[in-house]
Amino acid sequence: MTDLWYLIIVDPMLNGLISLSSLLPKQVQFGLAIILLTIIVRLILLPVSIRQLKSTKAMQSLQPKMQELQRKYGKNKQKLQQETMKLYKESGVNPVGCMGPMLIQFPVWIALYQSIMRALATTPENLLDLSHRLYSWQIVSQALPLNSHFLWLDLSGTGDFFLAILVGGSMWVQQKMTTAPSVDSKQQSTAQSMQIMMPFMFGAFVLMFPSGLAIFWLISNIIGIATQYFLGGGWGYLTNPFSPRPKSKAKGS
Amino acid sequence: MKLKIVKIAIVMGILCFSLLSAGCTGVERNPIGFSGVECHDGILYIGSSDGRVVAVNPASRETGQEFPSSDREWSYSPSPMLPSKGFSCGSSATPVSIYGTPVAADGLICVGIYNGKVLMMSPSARDNDSAFPQLKDGEWSYPRTDDVIDPIVGMPVVDGNSVYACCSDGRVYALDRSYGDELWRSEPLDDKLWITPLIKEGTLYISTFDGHIYALSTDSGELLPWSFKAEAGFVSSPALYEDIIYVGSFDRNLYAVRMGDDAPLWKFEAGNWFWSKPLVENGVVYAGCLDNRVYAFNAVTGDKLWEFDAGDPVVSSPIVVDDLLIVASETGNIYFIDKQTGTGERIKNYEEPGNENITTTGFLVRSSLCSYQGTLYVHTQNDMLVAIDIESRRLSWKFSLVSEEDK
Repeated sequence: MTDLWYLIIVDPMLNGLISLSSLLPKQVQFGLAIILLTIIVRLILLPVSIRQLKSTKAMQSLQPKMQELQRKYGKNKQKLQQETMKLYKESGVNPVGCMGPMLIQFPVWIALYQSIMRALATTPENLLDLSHRLYSWQIVSQALPLNSHFLWLDLSGTGDFFLAILVGGSMWVQQKMTTAPSVDSKQQSTAQSMQIMMPFMFGAFVLMFPSGLAIFWLISNIIGIATQYFLGGGWGYLTNPFSPRPKSKAKGS
Repeated sequence: MKLKIVKIAIVMGILCFSLLSAGCTGVERNPIGFSGVECHDGILYIGSSDGRVVAVNPASRETGQEFPSSDREWSYSPSPMLPSKGFSCGSSATPVSIYGTPVAADGLICVGIYNGKVLMMSPSARDNDSAFPQLKDGEWSYPRTDDVIDPIVGMPVVDGNSVYACCSDGRVYALDRSYGDELWRSEPLDDKLWITPLIKEGTLYISTFDGHIYALSTDSGELLPWSFKAEAGFVSSPALYEDIIYVGSFDRNLYAVRMGDDAPLWKFEAGNWFWSKPLVENGVVYAGCLDNRVYAFNAVTGDKLWEFDAGDPVVSSPIVVDDLLIVASETGNIYFIDKQTGTGERIKNYEEPGNENITTTGFLVRSSLCSYQGTLYVHTQNDMLVAIDIESRRLSWKFSLVSEEDK
């Protein structure tokens, strides 16, 4: 199974990444190759992303009706569940529709991550391992070894604080654009916690993982923001002044 | 909304788990090292996988004495473990690793280590367990303080009154042999240098990952007028025969370059990289390749004399013992090959000789081989030192280099 994973997904991606590096200027080859490959992968996954976007929007549009159901059947869990499913069915919304596309992307992310880690070959063991995974293409051998420097970064190094802020910040923006504010103060508070926790967590990952991977996350976030902006109708909930306010605060005002 | 938050939490959990497990199972980030064995004055010197320099007396091992015996056996851990940089799947600290085989020079042992130090050690001082370095015994470390330079992968070379070492910062360092003072350091020649340099008549020859062979003055470290540029980077350390340099490249070629020439004398394309340093003897180049083969070439014409299929990639450098070329494959098979004909025999596993599925040593071999007085010494990746009697092809003894604390 592991062999199949490498044969079908990781190795082609690894060799693609190195071949791409071969076509780029030596000074920025690998950093730029990561960016280009991220864009290519995101473009390939664009139909999936659009489906995810539509699914999320559809779920959000059902929020008022869901809250209505919550008010009506809040005490009867079974009835609430039945009515919620009925609502999904009538509206043609798949409740896990926004999850599926995201899950499909995971293997690609992991493969890209493994490709970056392998291509950088920071130790002699890594370089030796790389030799077993390369195709006998001239374009691949010409690019080796890859230049691990990109802008101010050592792509195999860890702990760049500025990059951590960029990744965390871009993730926060992306999440803020898509997460609808809730009228329930409890839910709103949980959503806010999530919005902060996720960027923080990825910011911490950036400090722990090679910068090459962080570049992938950053570009992936930027593409996510762009996709959301152009296909989802502007900045969404990031700047929407008419978003519903939490119930408890509304009462107090 | 609540359902959505739960979903996001699940997705976050899956994402974190996936990234961490992919990182831990996919790529080993910690350096491990694969130091070969140096035989000097009846003692074997090896860099162990946990970063110690170990002196082993074959006579004491043969009689099964407890290690270290009182007969010139010792182990020395050059420095504490380095704090781990960033995420680590294993322990929270990176152990010191040794890739280059220790070098014996006038009774002292010189070693370059991955945590960025060059050490000159006195076997007698280490045997007495004295504090390091004992200056009166000729011991030193470079840099002298707790400072380090970038990782050293290749072997240091001792020549005259100097020690030369290539470093991962792309520079060559020349150190005073007696005191370890820095005599000069070259300009960066590449992003990193992982090779053992070559010296001939006052000139250092350095092959680089970006495909150059540079000539440097041993006196000043200045670049000399001649250099050679190949189409691809060089992966192996260079070897020398008369005035011809042999080096393996990332484009799967073995290059033969005559000093002073702009074009290669000849090159041979194989199925993968020539990772290990070629061996040149009596006008024949023997080169192990990651395409599972060992090749023999006429050193001047480049004509292929024979090739031998080792079944697995050949990572370690071969050695010649009389009429035999001895080669180890990465999976741990040892082959005794006839130098003239290229026909060879696999040495059977010493514990299960009848089982063809078990390799000779039963574990990975990446380090260079060593022979001394009719015995072949192999350092495996599970830190086992294996002694094989060359004539009988049988195991003489084996000894685990793993320290008592780690067992």
